[in-house]
Amino acid sequence: MKIYNPEGELFEESVQLCSTTPLLSGGKIGILDNGKPNANLLLTKVAEGLAGRIDAKVSIVTGKGERANAATACNPQVVGMLAEEVQLVLTGSAD
Amino acid sequence: MENKGLFLDLNDEEPESIYELFEKRGWGDGLPLVAPTIERVAETLSHVEASEEEVIAVLPPRGGSATYRDVAVNAVLAGCKPEYFPVLVAAVKALGDQRVNLRGVNTTTHPVAPLVIVHGKAVDELGFNAGLGTFGPGNRANATVGRAIRLVLLHIAGAIPGPGDASTQGQPSKYTYCIAENTKESPWGSYPDSLKINSESALTVHCGENPHNFHDMESNDIERILDKAASSMTTFGVNNACISGGEWFIILCPEHARTAFNQGWSREDISGYLFEKARMPAGEFRKQFDLLAWADWMQSLPDESMVPMTQDVENIRVIVSGGAGKHSCVVPSWGMTRSVTLPIET
Repeated sequence: MKIYNPEGELFEESVQLCSTTPLLSGGKIGILDNGKPNANLLLTKVAEGLAGRIDAKVSIVTGKGERANAATACNPQVVGMLAEEVQLVLTGSAD
Repeated sequence: MENKGLFLDLNDEEPESIYELFEKRGWGDGLPLVAPTIERVAETLSHVEASEEEVIAVLPPRGGSATYRDVAVNAVLAGCKPEYFPVLVAAVKALGDQRVNLRGVNTTTHPVAPLVIVHGKAVDELGFNAGLGTFGPGNRANATVGRAIRLVLLHIAGAIPGPGDASTQGQPSKYTYCIAENTKESPWGSYPDSLKINSESALTVHCGENPHNFHDMESNDIERILDKAASSMTTFGVNNACISGGEWFIILCPEHARTAFNQGWSREDISGYLFEKARMPAGEFRKQFDLLAWADWMQSLPDESMVPMTQDVENIRVIVSGGAGKHSCVVPSWGMTRSVTLPIET
């Protein structure tokens, strides 16, 4: 006998991928702290390790913006600032 | 996540067969299931006027498209009667509302589950229990509609403990969490009416913790009763302590509601009283939390000021549910979510 699959289909949104980042050597890395405890510490360590390997620089460490926290979206001005200033952003850790 | 096709083959309709199949695939809630056969799903779908392919909502974190058919499949699995289906459809629409923030609700470490509250004509027509034991157990409509919501979240939304649901301990209401408003015993009329939602039947989704009980067997004074509600609310253990935008659902039993009404109290009076009474000193909060996601006016209060357990009196919402006896409860929010009330289209 046949029964239905309970999961259904995935929603596939048509999106345009951004172009591949050119070589990061000499570039800038930003850190977007998502507000979880110690995210800043963990992300900074990872970013510094990466920067050392590819001769890049950790240039910005920022939160998501005023009144934002781990459960809310990042302030669009912060996203804009990161897009303007750095070539790579590290963000997000769990509890 | 791999799409596994529309149909599955099942050897027979013995309860063990589907139970084992689902267990093997990592599906289900751990309890026995009803096989979603083509006939059962068709019968469920016959209770709405919509194309089975139409998407009701896209549910995170998996990004599953919850079509009418997919929701009907999960309704059958949960043991819903086909006529409950319009209630489920309204619940899925509510969960897809951006205000609910379902991605956060499903993936947080907090033990949050959507509480579904059914209002109006649908309560009696479909046999929901708004009286004694409304939270359960024992009533098919309450139990299976709540369960179907969880199955939708597990299967379509992908809120599977681990990859899609990080809840540290989970909570029992993640199995099923559905009650009905006891409008007949509510001295203030229905909750949707208070929101100016003009519909014979409606449904509210509030994403929160399990109910926190408070009891008062003795008082004929509503203030003495509500002081116990305030006592249940003033705890550092709930997210509402550090996130001031969260709501509280105050679910009064009919006898407590009647005491309030007899003293001339409205819903708003109760909210206002709890807003003033459920407070703790700002300095105590600051000792307990490094980060307080509070409204600006609360952040600026000096340590000795008494701070309410939510930033706005309207975040304290009052409904009547349950039967005889003098137990009521409060349901704290996860915090970064808003309740949504929608009509049920029958």
